[in-house]
Amino acid sequence: MKDALTLLSRITAHPDSRCWFLSWNPSGTLLASCGGDRTIRIWGKDGDNWVCKSVLGEGHQRTVRKVAWSPCGNYLASASFDATTCIWMKKKEDFECITTLEGHENEVKSVAWAPSGNLLATCSRDKSVWVWEVDEEEEYECVSVLNSHTQDVKHVVWHPNQELLASASYDDTVKLYREEEDDWMCSATLEGHTSTVWSLAFDQTGERLATCSDDKTVRIWRQQESAAEQGGSKKDPIWKCVCTLTGYHTRTVYDVNWCRTTGALATACGDDAIRVFEEDPGSDPLQSTFSLTAHVPRAHTQDVNCVAWHPKEAGLLASCSDDGEMAFWQYLRPE
Amino acid sequence: MELLSGLLTAFRGAPKEITRPQVMDERALEVYDIIRNIRDPEKPSTLEDLEVVSESCVSVQELDEECYLVVIKFTPTVPHCSLATLIGLCLRIKLQRCLSFKHKLEIYISEGTHSTEEDINKQINDKERVSAAMENPSLREIVEQCVTEPD
Amino acid sequence: MEECIKPVKVEKKPGKGAAKIRIEDDGSYFQVNQEGTSQKLEKAKITLNDCLACSGCVTSAETILITQQSHEELCRILRQNKTEAPSEHKLVVVSVSPQSRASLAARFNLSIQETAQKLTSFLKQLGVHHVCDITFSRNFSLLESQREFIQRFKSHKEEKKVLPMLASACPGWICYAEKTHGSFIIPYISSTKSPQQVMGSLVKSHFAQEKNMQPNQIYHVTVMPCYDKKLEASRPDFYNQEYETRDVDCVITTGEVLKMLEQEGMSLSDVCPSPLDSLFRSVVEEEPVGHQGGGSGGYLEHIFRNAAQELFGVHVDEIVYKPLKNKDFQEVTLEKDGNVLLHFALAYGFRNIQNLVQKLKRGRCPYHYVEVMACPSGCLNGGGQVKAEGESSKDLLQTVEQLYNKVRTELPEANAQVTELYRHWLKGQDSDVARQALHTQYHAVEKINSGLAMKW
Repeated sequence: MKDALTLLSRITAHPDSRCWFLSWNPSGTLLASCGGDRTIRIWGKDGDNWVCKSVLGEGHQRTVRKVAWSPCGNYLASASFDATTCIWMKKKEDFECITTLEGHENEVKSVAWAPSGNLLATCSRDKSVWVWEVDEEEEYECVSVLNSHTQDVKHVVWHPNQELLASASYDDTVKLYREEEDDWMCSATLEGHTSTVWSLAFDQTGERLATCSDDKTVRIWRQQESAAEQGGSKKDPIWKCVCTLTGYHTRTVYDVNWCRTTGALATACGDDAIRVFEEDPGSDPLQSTFSLTAHVPRAHTQDVNCVAWHPKEAGLLASCSDDGEMAFWQYLRPE
Repeated sequence: MELLSGLLTAFRGAPKEITRPQVMDERALEVYDIIRNIRDPEKPSTLEDLEVVSESCVSVQELDEECYLVVIKFTPTVPHCSLATLIGLCLRIKLQRCLSFKHKLEIYISEGTHSTEEDINKQINDKERVSAAMENPSLREIVEQCVTEPD
Repeated sequence: MEECIKPVKVEKKPGKGAAKIRIEDDGSYFQVNQEGTSQKLEKAKITLNDCLACSGCVTSAETILITQQSHEELCRILRQNKTEAPSEHKLVVVSVSPQSRASLAARFNLSIQETAQKLTSFLKQLGVHHVCDITFSRNFSLLESQREFIQRFKSHKEEKKVLPMLASACPGWICYAEKTHGSFIIPYISSTKSPQQVMGSLVKSHFAQEKNMQPNQIYHVTVMPCYDKKLEASRPDFYNQEYETRDVDCVITTGEVLKMLEQEGMSLSDVCPSPLDSLFRSVVEEEPVGHQGGGSGGYLEHIFRNAAQELFGVHVDEIVYKPLKNKDFQEVTLEKDGNVLLHFALAYGFRNIQNLVQKLKRGRCPYHYVEVMACPSGCLNGGGQVKAEGESSKDLLQTVEQLYNKVRTELPEANAQVTELYRHWLKGQDSDVARQALHTQYHAVEKINSGLAMKW
C-alpha cells in the first residue's frame, strides 16, 4: 500500500515558515502556494523540476492563508489574516494586484471562485461568508453577507457546475447556500462532525461532498433529491452522510481533495501523513464504503495542511506542510 | 521526584521496557522546565508560583520512534479567568520555540477549573487561531513579555 | 450574542497586605483579608454606555438592553405610580413609531386608524398618560435634513467631506459607522437627530416646560421597530446631566408591545378604541397621517424634492427609482439638459452599506445624498417588528408595507403645529435652541489595543 503513493520531489516552498495552501491553475501548468511568510509563490515546471516563477510579496501584511485561481486562469485571489482579499491579474510571467477587497472584520480564511468566474466567496473568523460579484470593469461588489455560522468560518468551496456554495466552520457544521431573488440564503446545514470542520471538497460531478474535521474523521455526503415538492415551492435537495471514515487519522484532518480524473480521495492530516481512499467497487451509493489505498505516514516532518490533485494529470498530487515544504506525489491505484 | 520513582521501578526489575518511562519522565521534565518560568500576563509571578502549572500537569507519550505527544493540563487562577486563552497561547509559543525533541502538543484546562473550559480548549488547540493571534502586535507583545526568560 | 470582553475594573480599597479571593461553589467571589474576615465581592456590571464605548463587538449587547430597557421596566414604572406617594409619580408618555403601528395593524388585521386608537386605549388603561405619534417629531427630522442638505450642497465646493450626506436616523448604521469607520465616515453623516430623539427633546424640554415639570418627572417611552433604538436612546449625547435623565428613558420594540398584550391576556382587536391623544400627533380628522417616501421615513424623497426646488427651481412630481444591484440599492437622479444635477441613492442592509463605504473610501461615490438603513428592506422590516406566524415573513412584510403606505401623507412644512413650535419653542430655524433640540454629534470609537482584552 505504501508504494501506491510515490514521492516525486520535495521543495522548500516557504522557508522558515508554514506552507498553508496550494492551488493548481485550471490547465495545471502553474501551482500557487501561500504561507506564513506573507507571500504567494507561483511554481511552474522547468524540465522535470518545479521551479519558482514568481514571488508575490507585496499585497498582504500578514499570513496568506489560501489562494484560488479563477476558472479562466488569468486571476488569482488570495485570502489573508490581514482581513483582506487580494485579486491578482496575470500579466505574462508577472502578477499585479488589481484590487483589494475589504470588509471582513478580521482574518480572511478562505476564498473561492464560482465556476462562472463572476462570483467570488470569502469567509472569515468574523463568522461571516461574503459573496462578491465581479463586473466587466473588474469592480467587485458585495452581493451578500451570510451570517449563518456561529463561529469562525474555515473554508469555502463552490459546487463544480452549479451556483451552490459550501462553507466549513469552527462551529462543527457545514452550510450550503444558494441565490434566492437578489440575495443569498443558507439552504442546508450538515451536522455530524463533533469538532471544527477544516475543509471540504465536492467530487467532479458535484453529487458528493467530502468534509474533514478536528474530530479525526472524514465524512462523505451525498445529495438526495428532496421528497415530493410541497406547496408548489421547490425544496432544496437534502445532503445525507453516506460514509464516515473513522479510525484512520490519528490527529486533526486539515484537508480533503477528490481527484477529478481517478475519483480517489486524498487527505492531509496533523499526524504528518497523507492518505488516499477509494470507494469500493459495487458500494451502495446510499451507504458507501471506502478503503484506504495509500498511506504515507511521514509524508512531511510536520502537519500536512493541504493536498491538491493535479486537474489534468491522473494521480499527480501536491501537498504542503507546516515545515514550509511542498511535495509532489504520484498515485497508482493498487491492484 | 518522579524521575526517582522511575529509577526505582527500573531497579525493581520491571520487564524489558525499563528505559521507556524514564525517557518519558525526562521529556516531561524538559517540558516543565520550559513552561514553569512563563510569567502570568497580568502579574509579575510565574505560572509555577501561581500553581497554574506543576510537574504533574505534564505528560509525554511516544507517538513513534521520533515523535512525542506532549499533553499539558493547566489550572487557571480563577474559574472566570479571562486570560486563560492567553496563558494557553504562551505555553504553546514557548514550547514551539524551545522544546528540543519533535512533538505534537495538546494543551487543556484541568477539568472543572474554568467556566468555559471547552471553548478555551478548542481555541488554544486550533493552530490557525494561534498563528493568527501571534501576528497581532498587541497580543504578540504580551506573549513575548511572558515567555522571555528573565536575565 | 457575543460574550463581552471588556476587562472588569476592580476597585482597590486601601489596606495593608494582600487579600485572597475565595470562590464559592455557586461561583460567587469572596475577598478574604489578612484578619480572616471575608466579604462578598460585587460582580462588575457592564452598563450600556460601557458597551457603546467599546469596540469589542459590533453587535449590540442584548442582555444589557433587556435589563435596562424593556417592557418590564415600563411595567415597573407603571406599578410604582400606583403604589408610591403622588409626589413620586412620574408622568408617563409613550411615543409610538408609525412602523410599529403598521406591524401591529398587520398582526391584528386592523386599519392604521383602528390600531392607533386601540393602542392608545390599551396603553392608557395600563396607566400611561399620553400616547404620541413619532410621525409628528419626524416632521422636524425631515425639515432639518432638508435644510442641512442645502447647506452642505452649497458649501461642498469649498469644504471637503460634506457630500454625500448620509442619513442619520438608523442607529444600527450609526453604531457600525462609529465603530468600524470612525473619523473617516462621521463628517458625512447628517447631524440631524432621528425622529425618536427629536421626540425626546419635545417631551423632555418643550412639554416639561409647558407642564412646569422637571424632565426627570416624566418617563418617556418609545415604541420602535428596532432593537438598536435602545442603544440610540442610551447615548450620552441624549442624557441630561442636570436632571440625571434621558430624553428617551426606555425603548420597547413592537414585539414587546405584543408581549405586554399577551401578559394582560388581551388581543388588540378586542380593545375598545379611544380618541387619539391631542399631544404631539399628526392627524387629519382623527386619522393618522404620514410622510411620502416609504417605510424608512422618506428622507431621500423629501430632501430630493426640496433640493430640486430650492437649488434648481425644479418641481419634482414623481420620484423614479432605478434599482441597481438589488432592490435595496436604488438611485434617483435629477437631470437637466443631459447633466445630472442631483444624484441620490438608498442603500439598505449591510451588504449595500459595505459597497457604499468602499466606494466612498476609493473616492468613487457619485452620490449627493444616501438614505442608509441597516436593515434589508428598511425600517418596516426592523428586527423589533412582530414576527411572522403562519404566513411567510416576505408576505407579512408586504402586508405591513401596504398598510403603512395607505396612510394619507402631508408635507412637514404644512403642519401648523410644527411651524408654531419653530417660532415659539425653538426661537426660529438655525437658532441655538433649534441646534440643541434637533441636532447631535457622533464619536469615533477607539479600537481596543490592549492584548489583554483582545479576542482572538
